[in-house]
Amino acid sequence: MLRGAIAIFRRDFKKFTSNPFMLIMTLAMPIMYLLIFGNAIGGTITGIPIGAVQEQPYVHETALYSAGIDQLERFHTQPDKPALFHVRVFTGEPMAKKALADGEIMAYVVFPSDIEPARTIRLYMDSSEYTVPALVQSGITGAIAATGAKNPIEAVNVYGVIDYLQFFGVGVIVMAIFMTTMFGGGLALIRDREMGIIEGYFVTPVKRSSIILGTIGSGTVKAFFAGFIIFLIDIFIAGVIIRSPDDFLLVLLVLFMTSIGVTSLVVSLASRFSSQQEYSSVIAFFSLLLFMTSGAFYPVLGMPSWLRWITVINPEFYAVQALRSIILRGQGISVIWFDLLALAIFSAGAIALGIMTYRRTLE
Amino acid sequence: MAEPDQGQVNNKGTGTVKKPDKRGQETDNLVIARDENIIRIEHISKIFRTGHHEVIAVNDVSFDVKKGEIFGLLGPNGAGKSTLIRILTTLMKPTSGRAFLDIYEVTKDDEKVRGIIGVCPQNSTLDIELTAYDNLEFYGKLVNVDDNLLDERIWELLKMADLSDRAHSRVSTLSGGMRRKLEIVRAFLHRPLILFLDEPTIGLDPEARREVWQQISMLNTEKITIILTTHYMDEAEKLCERIAFVDHGRLVSLDTPANLKLAMPAGELIELGYDQMNDSIISIIRNNHQVISVEKKDGILQISAKNGSNLLPVLIAEFEKSAITITSISIRSPSLEDVFLYLTGKKFGDMTSDGPVIHSGGSL
Repeated sequence: MLRGAIAIFRRDFKKFTSNPFMLIMTLAMPIMYLLIFGNAIGGTITGIPIGAVQEQPYVHETALYSAGIDQLERFHTQPDKPALFHVRVFTGEPMAKKALADGEIMAYVVFPSDIEPARTIRLYMDSSEYTVPALVQSGITGAIAATGAKNPIEAVNVYGVIDYLQFFGVGVIVMAIFMTTMFGGGLALIRDREMGIIEGYFVTPVKRSSIILGTIGSGTVKAFFAGFIIFLIDIFIAGVIIRSPDDFLLVLLVLFMTSIGVTSLVVSLASRFSSQQEYSSVIAFFSLLLFMTSGAFYPVLGMPSWLRWITVINPEFYAVQALRSIILRGQGISVIWFDLLALAIFSAGAIALGIMTYRRTLE
Repeated sequence: MAEPDQGQVNNKGTGTVKKPDKRGQETDNLVIARDENIIRIEHISKIFRTGHHEVIAVNDVSFDVKKGEIFGLLGPNGAGKSTLIRILTTLMKPTSGRAFLDIYEVTKDDEKVRGIIGVCPQNSTLDIELTAYDNLEFYGKLVNVDDNLLDERIWELLKMADLSDRAHSRVSTLSGGMRRKLEIVRAFLHRPLILFLDEPTIGLDPEARREVWQQISMLNTEKITIILTTHYMDEAEKLCERIAFVDHGRLVSLDTPANLKLAMPAGELIELGYDQMNDSIISIIRNNHQVISVEKKDGILQISAKNGSNLLPVLIAEFEKSAITITSISIRSPSLEDVFLYLTGKKFGDMTSDGPVIHSGGSL
């Protein structure tokens, strides 16, 4: 019995040590967990962009207004971290409102004018981000208290109350797309290579661009449907609200763009691998990396700056951001155009990479 | 071999395949004997390097294949047959040398080459999760068969492969022989000029092999050139008009099966079993002018002789005279295996594990 067990152990172990790539990947996963997961989630959120404005009629800058802005700019949750807020001063309430609607700021404070009898400080918050609204509210309350003013604060959640399930549900749409692509598009390509079906293609006049485009095409459709199903679940179970048919169509557009982008990335990677095992480990790595830095779990504001660089080149970040803009905030193309552009650039790059690096011969 | 002049090569009589218009006219008057040759291989070598290790898979091989023939590439496993096929089918680039298929050079005009060939690789490349029909349809689109003709063509081929009733079965449910036949007809879907069959009957039972052979002969009647690799001697002998022996990446010999056999100095092989042997009879036999060699081995006397069937009664008479009992008699013509043995000085069957090498010739 022992002899057989040892033989099996040795065989397995030999294969493990003879493949340095797999060894590196097995170590890369936990290290990534430590670095990325540890930093991406639960980090201290700082530099929240907020606006400050004084109510009309504007006679002159009140003492409360100038002291309030001063305190907001200096407010820290922890002494060794940067300031909690990044304050932008607006000259009129409509401007601040527009900046919030366009997603440029996440909240704005309206300081009362001198003639306002109750002298209520109004606070408008973008409630679509996880933990940020609570942080904004407590931060602003703290800052005002530091000025010594006793004015009542009236907080308004601009997009209503959004619970974590709705916040997270939108991120899961993107996750569904990635998962489907990983196992559908990429793995299928490698299985074809392993099974020798690819050798059958190569002796036909079919071009490598056709092979890549065909694979990306079918992967995109599959990924789109997976994302769409999660979207429906979000509507019917998590209770997200779609405000208009336009929004619905816009969501479909984002789903489609995301599917193309992610599928192209996965297929380009897959075309360089010939073993399922190696591919799976690399894709699992990328999948976690991209998903964690996408902001689907936790606001990107809470990530250290080196990690935010990954976010900049992460298609899932743009996808999550665009979907939240439409679904949770009811924003339109004027806000998400940049996300769509980023997804388009990413997809085009990934397709080109896939075609260029695809091996048309067996060597 | 003459140095080919690639610009002036014409391919008259191709018939089924349209050539680019520009060529045809001006080259017609330059028709040369080479026209007959649809494949020309010139000093092809292929060296595989893994680290500091070098393996010469194909070593300076040159030969031509005539239009419309079934050409056999014969050699043991690892002789370089599949590598050569992969070079000719554009799956690999040769380390040096050139090869022309019709008017196209395999490394430069690889896309054009892929348009005129059909390939049935050694390992199955069918998608076993799809049905027989779907596999053919898919392939038909890859090889640019007109959509209007495709369905009809698929049924024609399924009928040819005797698979009409299994058209909508998944390939995973088909037997090995059926899959092989399906793969062969698939390679023929777009009526290629040249069909490559790499070990078409490997791993098949005798019945299935016979069916595959029939199918190959049938395809050949459609005037298509077939390159067949095999390590089964009988297969090559049965199907091929000309055979190239390959061993250790080198071309050992190339001729018709009949001529290859003529190259053997020995005629037929006579084997006589005995109980007791008397040395004087051996010298008597040796002195016969028809006898080429005599060898005593484990109670069997092996005699190779010209015109052995005439000699046999004489030999039997000699044995009777000396009162030696003959326990067994066999006589056979040299098989291709014997020829190969003679040419390479090694045993063919030793190197294959896939199946027995079937001997040709009969025993008494």
